[in-house]
Amino acid sequence: MVEIKNLTKYYGNNPAVRGIDFEIRDNEILGFLGPNGAGKSTTMNIIAGYLPSTGGTVTVNGFDITEEAAQAKKCIGYLPEIPPVYPDMRVEEYLFFVAGLKGVKRAELKAQVESAMERLRITDMRRRLIRNLSKGYKQRVGFAQALLGNPKILILDEPTVGLDPSQVIEVRNLILDLKKDHSIIFSSHILAEVSAVCERVVIINKGQIMAIDTIENLQKSMVANTLLNLKVEGDKDKVVRLLKDVRGVKNVSDIEYVSSGVYTYKAEIENESVRKDILSVLLNNDCNPIEVTMAKLNLEQVFLKLTEKGEKRTSLQDLLTEDAATAPASENPYDNEEA
Amino acid sequence: MFSLYKKEMQSFFFSPFAYVLAALFMFVFSLSFATSIGSLTSSTLKFSFPNIFYNNFFYFIFLIPILTMRSFADERKGGTEVLLLSSPLSVSKIVLAKFLSIATVFLFMMTVSMFFPIYAACKGEVMWSSLFCAYIGFYLWGLACIAVGMLLSALSENSIIAAVLGEIIMQGFLFLDNFGATALVQSYPKLNSIITWFSLQRRFVFFSQGMFRLEDLVFFLSVTAVFLTWIIIAIEKRRWSRS
Repeated sequence: MVEIKNLTKYYGNNPAVRGIDFEIRDNEILGFLGPNGAGKSTTMNIIAGYLPSTGGTVTVNGFDITEEAAQAKKCIGYLPEIPPVYPDMRVEEYLFFVAGLKGVKRAELKAQVESAMERLRITDMRRRLIRNLSKGYKQRVGFAQALLGNPKILILDEPTVGLDPSQVIEVRNLILDLKKDHSIIFSSHILAEVSAVCERVVIINKGQIMAIDTIENLQKSMVANTLLNLKVEGDKDKVVRLLKDVRGVKNVSDIEYVSSGVYTYKAEIENESVRKDILSVLLNNDCNPIEVTMAKLNLEQVFLKLTEKGEKRTSLQDLLTEDAATAPASENPYDNEEA
Repeated sequence: MFSLYKKEMQSFFFSPFAYVLAALFMFVFSLSFATSIGSLTSSTLKFSFPNIFYNNFFYFIFLIPILTMRSFADERKGGTEVLLLSSPLSVSKIVLAKFLSIATVFLFMMTVSMFFPIYAACKGEVMWSSLFCAYIGFYLWGLACIAVGMLLSALSENSIIAAVLGEIIMQGFLFLDNFGATALVQSYPKLNSIITWFSLQRRFVFFSQGMFRLEDLVFFLSVTAVFLTWIIIAIEKRRWSRS
């Protein structure tokens, strides 16, 4: 559906996107993840045809975005980070304008605007000036605009930023609903959000792809890195030594004093079966485990791990198996792109 | 393209914008009209509408940058430029739609000012042929200035700056005439002829005298076309090198 090959974008001498490749398949929701300034918006702007690339190609539905711009752009609905609305227009008036701009036929105009308004539940706001709408509603108007012209591909740049939790859920459900007849690329810097709706994710940092993987693999890698919170009565050094000797324990950290002779420990373990070994080792050596709780490695922590690395990786597993203690990449001077 | 044109027209006519400008235009016109009528004596029957245009160029030129200042600067500021540039419309069509809408508003302002000649015709005699010629000349002059004003709006993100720069350039156009008339320039006939060739006002004078010269028509239209092309290039250039 959309193929991105060796895409490069320079702002002056600063590279914002450096040779990225990925594709968006038919009827899939692709998550596009990265910290602020990673090049997400730039990439999306290029796919949508707003900015030209410095190098590489973007093919939308078989049309090159620069060579056959008009046909390619007709297949795209784009919701930029800031909804592109005119504050002094009414909602309905604005949607009619955008539909006209996208070349929707006169006969279908009304039906399309109506259905977009219904989908986003803004029908009762149709006569309101956009200026007077709340941020959430403005976002919805922007979203409705992207649906006009029945584009095959939807590009959504952080569609849930600034929305309240119930609206976030609404937007998520809408995206899932749209999946039936659209291919969607959806960007965010919140991993949990992407994992809630996407099948595949592209993780980008400093203009380079860090990983392309399915959510399942992502979750697998997270399960593989389970955290065990332990509260043990006994000599601290002895406990740490014992824990580290157990097979399957990767790391012991965050040792904190609770009361005399009692400390808490965080042990990163490979899988849940290690827990049994740990407990038996501790009991056999006169250490008294008071409390044992399991915690999955936080999604955010995985994300941070990924984006900390300077080098290019192919899968999440690669990165996660590496020791977290490896030095993070040096600060790069080109990380100055705006959102 | 028509939908963009329509939207632009709505933004002018569904707000007080076009009406305030038309009122200002009428106001300036009416003052000159009243004073010209008042200063008429039986011995000097030299009152003419083209003269009103000519004498008030200084005021009229201030209207055009105000008309054009928002065209591109506001789109950039409001983030709606993304919508236009990611739509199937090409940049040249976007520029053309915006230009046509402003040209229509300008036409509206001029049409409204027809009130004075019509009123005068009820009470006396008006030389319609030279009047229409003056209107055409004034309109062509306006189109060229609109293209210049739009270019400034496309180059700046702030509509006020676009307007102020516009006023300065319009002043420069007026100044060309005076500059051409200085003794220094007069002493270099070649330089003088180049300067006067570029003078927009001098060309208007021919129209106001009821002379419709093809040369002037081509001049105004080509100036307009050059600036419109420049706008397209400026927008494309910014897309390529946005920083």
